[in-house]
Amino acid sequence: MDGVPIAAERPLSRWRLMPERGTLSLFELLLALLCVVLAVLGLSQNVQDVLIQTFLWAGLALAWNVAGGYAGLISFGHASFFGVGAYTSTILLVNYGLTPWIGLWLGGLLAAVVAGALTLICARLRGPFFILSTLAVAEVFRIAALNWASLTGGAEGFAILPTPSVFRMVFVSKTTYATLFLGYLVTVYCITKVLEGSRYGLQLFAVRDDEDAASAAGVNPLLARTGAMCLSAFLTAIGGSLFAQYFLFLDPTHVFSPELSFQFALLPALGGLATAIGPVLGAFVITPLSEMLRSYFGGGAAGLHLAIYGTVLVVVMLYFPGGIAAALAQLAGGHVKGAS
Amino acid sequence: MTTVGQLIFSGLLIGSIYALMSMGLTLIFGVLRIVNFAHGEFLMIAMYGAWAMTRYLGLNPYIAVAAVVPAMFLFGGVIYRLIISPGLDKPHLVVVFATMGLAILMQNIALMLFSADLFDVAPLLGGRSFIIGPFYAKAELLIGFAVAVACTIALRFMLQATFLGKAIRATVQDGEAAMLMGIPVPRIFLITFAGGSALVGLAACVMMPLFSVFPTVGLNFVLIAFVIVVLGGMGSVEGALIGGICIGVVQSISSYYVAAAYGQMFFFILFLLVMIFRPAGLLGRRGEATIGIND
Repeated sequence: MDGVPIAAERPLSRWRLMPERGTLSLFELLLALLCVVLAVLGLSQNVQDVLIQTFLWAGLALAWNVAGGYAGLISFGHASFFGVGAYTSTILLVNYGLTPWIGLWLGGLLAAVVAGALTLICARLRGPFFILSTLAVAEVFRIAALNWASLTGGAEGFAILPTPSVFRMVFVSKTTYATLFLGYLVTVYCITKVLEGSRYGLQLFAVRDDEDAASAAGVNPLLARTGAMCLSAFLTAIGGSLFAQYFLFLDPTHVFSPELSFQFALLPALGGLATAIGPVLGAFVITPLSEMLRSYFGGGAAGLHLAIYGTVLVVVMLYFPGGIAAALAQLAGGHVKGAS
Repeated sequence: MTTVGQLIFSGLLIGSIYALMSMGLTLIFGVLRIVNFAHGEFLMIAMYGAWAMTRYLGLNPYIAVAAVVPAMFLFGGVIYRLIISPGLDKPHLVVVFATMGLAILMQNIALMLFSADLFDVAPLLGGRSFIIGPFYAKAELLIGFAVAVACTIALRFMLQATFLGKAIRATVQDGEAAMLMGIPVPRIFLITFAGGSALVGLAACVMMPLFSVFPTVGLNFVLIAFVIVVLGGMGSVEGALIGGICIGVVQSISSYYVAAAYGQMFFFILFLLVMIFRPAGLLGRRGEATIGIND
């Protein structure tokens, strides 16, 4: 079982045009280069704002994909991990003066513990039952955060003082934020790339596709699933901390909302599940598009951009279930491996 | 003592209405093995329908049933043809995300048409309450309870005694064998999905005098419906009624004794406890939640 077929499929040339599991492609390098240029170019404030959000969403979509795509653990409760990360680093900063540079790791660890507990509890559940349980967990967190006002500020929200300092991870320049968020995206991307080429990644695929066969081959499904969920939650929580440091305001009805959970899942679904490039493409297409439509149609047609988004989602799911990544690969004449 | 009694009684009534709203969901899950994530939005448009009939035609929501229920039946049929049926032979993820996309689409079309304002209809009989034994109850709640109970009995009778019901049960037991016996399984799916949607239409008319309607109203109710359906056992009609009543009573008691805001938290915790200890629900088939479904 030791990856024999994988080795046999290694491409002859080192650089491939289109993204493939386990190797870096020209496409990915060019995209990364483009991102770096855009981040440091010092574009207008509005464009940079969209850029920062796009990087953040791409990172979060990748983080969700670790559990939802690779391990098949479709979660509609990732807002709970996002919120735990955001609130942990913010509470530590505002109430205890701990720098978010440390706080975000603590938030990530806490979220990973929550995710581990959740997966162990729901380990037996499959399909819709697992999905609904994650949704319920996120709702419990939302209601708790809303009502535990002494800790979270309740419905009034929780603000970080906008005094710029490196220690407090608050910056004036949007370029700094863009670079920071791009760093987050690249890190999560690299982790995903390493994961999908690793032995553990293969174990996740095996457990997702046929649990009985995987455990017969010596993979512990419970351990594999829990690990994927913990990693996914950890990365999501770090995204949550960064979100807090950029927007400087947390509101439980937004940070823990089901809508946010759905968004985490929908971006990878649109882009291509269980591929590294898919969630990035999903976020790179959807985030700027919805920002553009929102500013273009303004208040006159509130909801139009989301109506378009919903339609696109239905069409993509029914007719291009591999998402944007698979469609792009088809155009280029190649194929993306790993899409379920 | 009377307080507790009154709380349980009110919870029972409101819970039965929640159950009515969940019946379509559980029926569709039981037969097609899919979760319709746009269920709440089906409820939302049906509520707008009932509201519009009341507002513009001067009917009352209970008479609107005559138009809303057939309209929702047709709507369900169209959605089945366009979205559900092409996704049935694909991994279950496809239907999950496609119905989610449909939910987003419907929510935002409603937002564009009706804005985010809350609409409601004037209470029936001037909002009068009735006294039943030692308890008080709003007329709308009593009507809702009667409709929910009647609906459960009618559904059970339909499934048990009619030819269509037998065909549905045969499809649930073994789709392939049913097909070999000449049962048109795709048509059974279509009828079930449309029928489930019609039930949501009925629930919407019953709920309209009690709740306001706004574009995201579905999300609040669909979360309750998911809890009820899982609690009662996915696919079980009687389970939905019992689950709904449990949720109603839990909500009513906890919002009185703890805090209204925590009321919802209790039933999500109840839901998680059920998932941990009895994932098949109260009346569901054992092992259902732990074996793979539809893939």
